Amino acid sequence: MTNATGMALRQVRKSYGATNVVHGIDLDVAAGEFVVFVGPSGCGKSTLLRMIAGLEEVTDGEISIGGRDVTDLDPSQRGIAMVFQSYALYPHMSVRDNLGFGLKMANTPKAEIETRVTAAAKILKIEPLLERRPGQLSGGQRQRVAIGRAIVRKPDVFLFDEPLSNLDAELRVSMRIEIARLHKELGNTMIYVTHDQTEAMTLADKIVVLRDGRIEQVGTPREVYEHPDNIFVAGFIGSPKMNFLAGVAANDGFDLAGKTFPLGYSLAEPGTPVTVGIRPEHIEVGPSGAATFSVEVDFSEYLGGTQYLYATLADGQSLVIEHRENTEILGDGSITVSCDPGRIEVFSATGRRMRR
Amino acid sequence: MSMTIATPVAAAEKPRRRARKNRQLQGLLYIAPAVILVTIFFVIPVLFTVWMSFHNWPLLGQPSWIGLGNYTRMFSDTRFAAALSFTAYYTVIATIAIFALAFPLALFVQNERRGVSAYRTIFFMPVVVGLATASLLWVWLANVDSGLFSPILRMFGVTGRSANLLATFNNAFPTIIVMVVWKIVGFTMIILLTGLQSIPSDLIEAARIDGAGRWQRFRFLTLPLMRRTLALALILSVTGSVLAFDQFYIMTSGGPQNRMISVVYYIFNQSFVSFQLGYGSALSIVLLGILVALSVVQLWLLRVGDDK
Ligand SMILES: Nc1ncnc2c1ncn2[C@@H]1O[C@H](COP(=O)(O)OP(=O)(O)OP(=O)(O)O)[C@@H](O)[C@H]1O
Ligand SMILES: [Mg+2]
Repeated sequence: MTNATGMALRQVRKSYGATNVVHGIDLDVAAGEFVVFVGPSGCGKSTLLRMIAGLEEVTDGEISIGGRDVTDLDPSQRGIAMVFQSYALYPHMSVRDNLGFGLKMANTPKAEIETRVTAAAKILKIEPLLERRPGQLSGGQRQRVAIGRAIVRKPDVFLFDEPLSNLDAELRVSMRIEIARLHKELGNTMIYVTHDQTEAMTLADKIVVLRDGRIEQVGTPREVYEHPDNIFVAGFIGSPKMNFLAGVAANDGFDLAGKTFPLGYSLAEPGTPVTVGIRPEHIEVGPSGAATFSVEVDFSEYLGGTQYLYATLADGQSLVIEHRENTEILGDGSITVSCDPGRIEVFSATGRRMRR
Repeated sequence: MSMTIATPVAAAEKPRRRARKNRQLQGLLYIAPAVILVTIFFVIPVLFTVWMSFHNWPLLGQPSWIGLGNYTRMFSDTRFAAALSFTAYYTVIATIAIFALAFPLALFVQNERRGVSAYRTIFFMPVVVGLATASLLWVWLANVDSGLFSPILRMFGVTGRSANLLATFNNAFPTIIVMVVWKIVGFTMIILLTGLQSIPSDLIEAARIDGAGRWQRFRFLTLPLMRRTLALALILSVTGSVLAFDQFYIMTSGGPQNRMISVVYYIFNQSFVSFQLGYGSALSIVLLGILVALSVVQLWLLRVGDDK
């Protein structure tokens, strides 16, 4: 069952009247790739996805699926299927009819509808529910039916708009794994919108970080996490959030809180203000790493396995440290922490990452 | 031992029972105004009408009990049969005409387009005019000389001389249908519009992705999802048509050759022209029965009360 097809967006724009919502998106999606759009609320993820689906008119630019220009095609002719956040199941039809509706509209023979509906129901383990109405299903079951309705159409590209956000935390995790399994089994191209970064990191082959209708960075989850292109991506990906500290460029490193940290290369003209980014999980308690500094712990949170330390540097800037050792750090006290300089990101005043 | 346990339970029971009784009283209080109104203006009149229908009841003088006499009389009353069949004919034509126009209008004003609220207002405006007022207005509009339609028809050469639209059944009936549609369609449109707007837009979008065309979306989504709204609009329209009176009384006074006597008009004639109040009451009760039966059938046909 592999009919994987790539997709490409060229300078895709969207405006509602005079308001520009999406500003010239260029994106290539390889066949069979799982692409996740993430970004803060209102950044245009849904709008972009709906333009790909054909539910929203494209103001300017071109969308092609499998090398075919689909910009002005009807949604049903684009070879896509979509799973909505609200499930959008037809409430007056049985699960069976919900699954088969698209095929019925395409005048598929009854026998084939039956086989394909049964096959999809089997994949999603919803066979016992086929005669029920959506109103008689739980949230998780409805979600399965919605995904089933997409599978039955055998689309080239699956589109998901925050499909799990109406589920409770536990179900979310299991459905997430289910979707990953589905992608592996079907091998289709999938585009997935979420603002949950765990979903993004775990599911994606490629993450597209959006902000205000623009792409901030495209990359694998590892690239986006380890080498964020700018301060926005660095702050958006990762939890707890990356620490951003105001520093000043120095020879072969930077000055921070009255101390010089060597990086082994020059960032900029010494004296230029920079922002130093250090992830909480990359700071270790104890003087083992190369870049060592002392902080004052204000208070801490114990989450079982990890402990978040809320601390201040000598110059008053605050800092979060993720401490994963067994030894408990008691609040109120000065401790020495260190960090691998290779893990430190430095950003210019405009927010772009400096070095390398 | 058991005594000490039993006592507090019993003690706790009493205030709870009293609290429940209080709540029930409160509930009764809330529905009391409606109950009183319905009793005074519906239940008592209906019961009284039933009582009257078993009598020979002249306007003045002593009513006399005749049992089911008024009811058996109906079966041989050809004028009542004619009124029934005319009312049925009118109801079918008017309802079809109203829906045939109200649905497209509702679909038209559903979309957020420029000036849509102006359209909604224009289509709804005739609704606020009373039916009697509208009838009078249309009597004037249809007047041979000073009206609007006849001169226009003549101007465009449709008719040679000024035609009297209300003079023959074949002209008067369509004129009245047009008037009623003009008067009622905005109301039905608004009801249908609420039904259309209660359908979530994702459902329509999902159907578009599933390849359902405009007509298929209407047939497989809109119509079934609007079942309740349709039932409401249909029952209101049918009930209104079965009870039609003003337009026939005002516009044609029963029409050319008395061919436009509706059931209510006939009841009116029997009761307040012939002063056979007993017979009129019996006819009213039968009409009430017919309306209830029609509504039940419509609700059943549209399966309202079925699960979503
Ligand atoms: N019909 C519309 N008219 C005007 N502006 C709109 C319309 N629909 C969406 N927008 C605007 O477009 C922007 C992007 O909306 P979109 O729904 O794509 O956001 P999103 O990234 O999906 O957010 P969320 O995570 O909250 O779902 C928002 O600023 C929104 O206000
Ligand atoms: Mg959205």
